[in-house]
Amino acid sequence: MDRIKTHPILGDTEEGKIVNFTYDGQTLQGIEGEPIAAALRVAGVMTHRYTAKKHEPRGVFCAIGRCTDCVMVVDGKPNIRTCITPLKEGMVVNTQYGASAEKEES
Amino acid sequence: MERYDLIVIGAGPAGLSAAIEAAKNGLKPIVFDENARPGGQLFKQIHKFFGSKEHKAKIRGFKIGDDLLAEASENGVQVVLNATVMGLYPEKEVTVKIGEEIHHYKGDSILTATGASENMVPFRGWTTPGVIGAGAAQTMMNLHHIKPGNKVLMLGSGNVGLVVSYQLLQAGCEVVAVVDAAPRIGGYGVHAAKIARCGVPFYLSNTIVEVTGDEAVDGVTIAEVDRNFQFIPGTEKHFEVDTVCVAVGLSPMAQLLKQAGCKMKDTPGGFIPECDEYGATSVPGIFAAGDVAGIEEASSAMIEGRIAGAAIANYLGYLDADGLKEKENSLEDALGSLRQGMFAPKNRGKLVTKTEEGIDTSMNLLEKGFVADDEIERYPGVTHTVGIHPVMECTQNIPCNPCQDACAKGCISIGANITSLPVVKNDVKCIGCGMCVASCSGQAIFLVDEDTGDGYGTVTLPYEFLPLPETGEKGIALGRDGKKVCEAEVVSVRSAKAFDHTNLLTIRVPSDMTMKARFYKRA
Amino acid sequence: MKDIQEKRKEIGPFIPGPDDDLLICRCEEVTKGEIRQAVHAGMFTIEEIRRFLRCGMGLCQGQTCGKLVKGIVARELQVSPAEIEPATSRAPMRPTEMRIMAKDGGDDRE
Repeated sequence: MDRIKTHPILGDTEEGKIVNFTYDGQTLQGIEGEPIAAALRVAGVMTHRYTAKKHEPRGVFCAIGRCTDCVMVVDGKPNIRTCITPLKEGMVVNTQYGASAEKEES
Repeated sequence: MERYDLIVIGAGPAGLSAAIEAAKNGLKPIVFDENARPGGQLFKQIHKFFGSKEHKAKIRGFKIGDDLLAEASENGVQVVLNATVMGLYPEKEVTVKIGEEIHHYKGDSILTATGASENMVPFRGWTTPGVIGAGAAQTMMNLHHIKPGNKVLMLGSGNVGLVVSYQLLQAGCEVVAVVDAAPRIGGYGVHAAKIARCGVPFYLSNTIVEVTGDEAVDGVTIAEVDRNFQFIPGTEKHFEVDTVCVAVGLSPMAQLLKQAGCKMKDTPGGFIPECDEYGATSVPGIFAAGDVAGIEEASSAMIEGRIAGAAIANYLGYLDADGLKEKENSLEDALGSLRQGMFAPKNRGKLVTKTEEGIDTSMNLLEKGFVADDEIERYPGVTHTVGIHPVMECTQNIPCNPCQDACAKGCISIGANITSLPVVKNDVKCIGCGMCVASCSGQAIFLVDEDTGDGYGTVTLPYEFLPLPETGEKGIALGRDGKKVCEAEVVSVRSAKAFDHTNLLTIRVPSDMTMKARFYKRA
Repeated sequence: MKDIQEKRKEIGPFIPGPDDDLLICRCEEVTKGEIRQAVHAGMFTIEEIRRFLRCGMGLCQGQTCGKLVKGIVARELQVSPAEIEPATSRAPMRPTEMRIMAKDGGDDRE
C-alpha cells in the first residue's frame, strides 16, 4: 500500500529517517519509529504469521496492540505485536509459525 | 510502593479531563497509558466535532487532543506512557508494567478511563489478512500516514463506519460500499450524506457472506438478510476489494473494574460498572468515566471526566460539597444537551419518524444515505430566495449549533434547543462569506445562487479532498445520490485559515440544477 | 441457573449447523461448533467453556471473541446474553513475558 504524502486535513507527512530492516531474509526499508506493521504494509506484506493449529495466515487486524493477530518474531523474540512496536535500524523481522520463526514440518 | 492522590488509568479524553480537573483542585494525579502517545482515540479523529462551543464543536478531534495535552501539562498532570496497567485491586493498588518491570502504586483514589474496544462479527474469511477493524484503518491512515487498502468495503453504518469511510476517501482510497445488516443507517444522516454524494453506495439489510482470498483479501460477497438476519438466497453481490473494514460497534473495556470488585451490570451497550452520577463505582474511591462506563462520544467523555475529577477532589476533601455541586450544575447541562435529539441514548435502535418540529423523517436518508430531491424541500433550512443564500440540508435533530454563530449577519437560527433544525432568516441578507459552510461539522450547508441571470446559477460546497480543483476547470456535478446531474465549471476555490481545511468550492451549473448539484468531480 | 441435566434436556440435543466450522476465537482457533457442543455437554458458563476449549485464553485474552462466545452460549441456552455468567477478570490484563511477571516482588521489591 502507499504512503499518504499529503493529506487534505493533516497536510504534508513529515519526512522521517529511512532505516533498513530484514523481513524473512530480504532487506526492506521503513521509517524509523513507525510501527513495524506500517513498514511491512507499505512493502506489500500482508501475512505476519501462520496459526499454530490450522496454519492459517494472519495479519494486522486491530492495529492498536489488542488483538495480537499481527505478532511476529522480532530480533529472535516471538509474539511481538508489530502494530505497536517501533521500527529500528537493523531489526530482524520474521514470519511467525505457531510460536516460532521456523516453518513446521507438516 | 509509591502513593498518589489520584491514579488515572488511560490518557484519553475522559482520563485527561479528570486528571486536569483534579489537579486544578490541588490533587497530584498520575496518568498511566499503555500507548506510546496520549490522547486515546482523539488523534485519529480528523473530522470537526459536533455540539456547541462548550463541547468544542467544529474543532477537529486531534486539535482538541492537542489542547487537552497542553492543559494537562499546564496543570502539572504527570502522564506516563508505555505504561500498561496489568491489575487493579480493591485496596486501590495498581500494578503497572513499565519497560521490563512491574511496578506497584497505591492511589487514594483511582479513575478508570480505559475506553472501549471494537466489536467484531465473524463471517467466512474474517481472519484473512486484509480484514481489519475500522479503528485499524483510522490508525493506519491518520496516525501512520499509510493507506489501509486501495479498494475497501465497509461493514457497519454507525457513526464510526460512516466517518471512517469518509476518511478513507480523504486518504485516497476507494470505498466500494457501506454495508449494514440493519434495515436503516445507524449513524448521523449528515455523515452518510457526505459519502453518498461522493458516489459510495449503501447496502442496508445486507451483510457479508464471505471474504475471499487465500493469503490476502481479494474480494467479498454480500447478500441481503431477512428480518431474522438470515441470508436470502439469490441476492449475493460480489465486490473485488483488497480490504474489508469492520465497524460494528464498541464495547466498554471494563475488565479492570470487574477485577477490582466493582459491582457490574450487563447492558445492551456492554458490561459496565454501576456508577452514580459522578462516576463513583461501588468500591469507595474507585471511579469510572468515558466509554468504559458506557459508550458515547469523546465530547461526553471529556465532560464525564471533568465531573469525576471534581467528585474525586470532593471525595479526598479538596473540594467542598458546594464546590462540587456548582461544578456539577455547570457540567450537567453541557452533558445533558449532548444526550438529546434523535440519537439520544433513549432512542437507540428506534425508528424516529418525525423531527422535533414535526417534519417527516427522510426515509431515503435512512435507507440510502441521502435525502431525495423531493424530500429536501420540507426542511426549514432549505429555502428559495433571490441572490446567494445558505441551503442547510440538516434534517435530523442532533446536538449541534456552530452554524448559528458562524453567520456574522445572523442569517441562521437554531434557538435555545441545541437539537433543533437550523432555520434560515431570509430577511437578513447573506453576503456569501461561506463561514457557515465551513463551520458545519456535518458538511450539510451549501451556498446557492439559483439564478445569476444567464440561465445558470452557482453552488458553493464544502470540499476536503486532494487535489483541489482549480478555478476554470470543467467537470461534472454530482447529486445527493452521487450520480451525475450535469456538467459543471469551477468558478472559485476558497481556502482560509478560518475554514480549517474545509475548502469552499463554487461551481456553476444550470439554474434548474442548483438545488440538485451537491458535489463536484473532475471529468 | 437450573439443574444442569434438566437444562440440557430443555435445550435439546446438539444439532450440527452449517457454520459450525466458523472460527470464533482467533487466538486459540476455536470454532462455533466446538462452543455449541460444549454448551450441549453441560457447560453453561464462560468460565467452564474457556477452561475446556481455551477460547479467550490466548494472547489477546478474549478481547475479540469474548462477546461473540457469550452470544453463542446465550443463543444455545435460549437466554439473553446478560444472563450468562461472565468470566473472571484477573491480572495480567495484557500479554506479558513470564520472566517479567516472575521478577515482580510486589511490596518487598527494592
